[in-house]
Order: sequence, then C-alpha cells, then structure tokens
Amino acid sequence: MRDSFAKFEAAGIKLYALSYDDQETLAEFAENQRIPYTLLSDTHSTVIKQYGLLNEQLTAADGPLYGIPYPGVYVCDEQGIVTSKFFHDSYKKRESPEMLIDAALGNIQIDESAPRATSTADGIEITAALHGGNGSLRQGIVRQLVVSFALPEGLHIYGEPVPQGLTATRIDVEGPDGLVLLPMQSPATHSLHLASIDETLEVWSDRVDLIIPLYPVGELVSECRPLDAPEVGVTVNVTFQACNDSECLLPETRRLTLTLPLDVVDVPNLAIHTGHGQREGNYDSTPAMKRLVWRKTRGNPWRLVQFLWRQMRMRRQFKR
Amino acid sequence: MWHRLAMKAERDELGFDAPAPLGHPVRASMPEEHSTGPQIGERLPDFSVNDAFGNRVNFHEDRGVSQAALVFYRSAVW
Repeated sequence: MRDSFAKFEAAGIKLYALSYDDQETLAEFAENQRIPYTLLSDTHSTVIKQYGLLNEQLTAADGPLYGIPYPGVYVCDEQGIVTSKFFHDSYKKRESPEMLIDAALGNIQIDESAPRATSTADGIEITAALHGGNGSLRQGIVRQLVVSFALPEGLHIYGEPVPQGLTATRIDVEGPDGLVLLPMQSPATHSLHLASIDETLEVWSDRVDLIIPLYPVGELVSECRPLDAPEVGVTVNVTFQACNDSECLLPETRRLTLTLPLDVVDVPNLAIHTGHGQREGNYDSTPAMKRLVWRKTRGNPWRLVQFLWRQMRMRRQFKR
Repeated sequence: MWHRLAMKAERDELGFDAPAPLGHPVRASMPEEHSTGPQIGERLPDFSVNDAFGNRVNFHEDRGVSQAALVFYRSAVW
C-alpha cells in the first residue's frame, strides 16, 4: 500500500486504513514505516462492529486479540456509494493495491515495469503481463496475469460457447507448485451473426484483456521462511483461433514466458515474526503490544490471567 | 518474557503459513455466511474516529468529493 500510494494520489483516490490500534501505535507505525495515507484508530472496534465485520471467533477471553475485523476493502465513488468490495475466506489473501485503483477507475492500468512477454505473428499481438506489486509474488497477495490481445481490424477470436470446428480462446498457465490460479475473468463477448452458415458466434475483436487472478501459498513463498529462490518462471499458453467474417486462420497456441520475482513481507520486530527471513524493517512494535495487552485487560485482571493461560496452553500444544 | 514468544510456522488448509498454531481463532477464516458489511450500491455508513495524529476524522467529510478506498485490517502491532 505504501509503495503504491503515489498511484492512488495520481488517480485522485483517497486511501484510509482502519484498525483497532490506539493512536500512539498508529503514529509510531506511520513514522517508522513512512505510511503516507490516513490511518484511523478505532480503539473500541465501534466502526468494525458498525460495519458488521467483527471477528467473533475471538472473544474477550482472547484479551488483546479481541476486536479485530475480518479484513477487507471497500471502494466508493464520489458520492460515497460502494462500487466494489474485496473480502476473502482467508485473512492472508488480499488484493494488490493496483486492483483497488482499477476498481475505482474502471479500467486496468498496467505498470511499465510489470514483467511481460509479447508475441506477434499474423498481425496479432499477444502480451502477457503480471499486474500488481511490480509483478512480484508474495504469500496470499492476489496479482493478475493479464493476457492482452491486439487484433487487426476485421479479425475476431472466440469466447465460449463455440460451434464445433472452431476453437474458443483458452489460457493455460504452467507455474511452480504453490501458485494458485483463480478462474479467468473476461469482458463480455459480442454476438456476431454469420448469415452464410446461419450461426451466431460469441467473439472479441480489436483489443481484449483476459485476466487470471493468482496468488502464491506457503509452498512457493512463505511469510515464515526465507525465499527459496529469487524468482520463478511461469509459462502462459494462449490457445485461440482468429477469423474474419468469411474465413479462419488455423487454431494456434502461443507460449509466453514470464520471470516473476518472489518477495518477502514486511513484519514488525515482534518476537513471533523474527528469524523467519522476512523484512523486519525498523518498526519494533513491542511497546505497542504491551500497550495493547494493557488496554484490553486493565479493566479486568482476570482477562490477563485468562489470556496468559491460553497462550501457555497453546504453546504447550504447539510444541507437541 | 517476550523473546520466548518466537514461534514456528504451521500451514493451514488453504496453504498459508503463519507464526501461530493451527486451530487458534486468530487464524480462522471468515465463515462463509458471514456478512461483509455494506453492499455494492449502498452508501458507506459514516463514522468519526481519530487519525494517527489525534485529529478527529469524519470519513465522508474528509473524503469530500473524492473516490476512496477504505481498508479494514487486523493490526499494525502484530
């Protein structure tokens, strides 16, 4: 988020991040991590509850952990109306900042620096690029593999369904283990009726972006061990058939290869994270953690005992 | 006591590693039927909270006429 703040500014999108942390913690965090956007302090989780996002699997007995939301993002328009929102089954999974900007602007803006490969033949240009986070792979962060077709005038390619004998456009990704691919997202096709064969075909023409969202899990890149390799190769096989209104080229498959850097995550210098090979930076959140424990348990010393007891029990189970 | 809190990683059913044991509620996924708050097409409910500098921020007032992204995250502490 921090690294892409300039893009939010350039797009005129204001960025707010809300958590149950106290104001002092956010001030330390903002200073040490040089956070340029607005950090909001919802110490009593009032807004989190107002929005219906409180994680109720944690209870007051979990002491300092109670009060967190199920994480997610809303994008709103100039009137404050929600235009998109992003919530996932796992708190580890989240959109790249670029996808929030795309959602607000209604189009995809791929960075110049994104890893990409292009194939041009028969006047048909196909580019595969990894969109978001400079194309790096970090555990759980969703990027988009964008396959862009630039078709010469008069040519089209096919979406599903296609009549027998024609080939629908398909993207197959060969990647390393631990790279999770989500279903392809494509713009609506337009219907083309060919009187000569009395068929209605679902086609794309001119320029079309087909998107496969993807993210790595711990097997490929973990937030609990150093990187196994600096980068990985991904091969994108794009199968399609291009036709004009009277004749077709043969179906073909083009192979595009991308090299994608792997990346660690930024973690605070807190004991639970240290020594895992991540970017520990210069933010020691131990004082903030102590404040959090104090704030959540001061009204009820029993809570502190309960929390410490649960921690101890958990750690004993963890060792077995 | 803090240095003794270092933890090894465990991998969950979705493939994610985290430095907390499996089964701990802090690692729980959002239940499928759980609300994700305001729907698309609704106005974001207004609220006022403090920012990192102690200024009271009213969300819609501060946003003015800009588009905005509002991120709910777990914590800056841990």
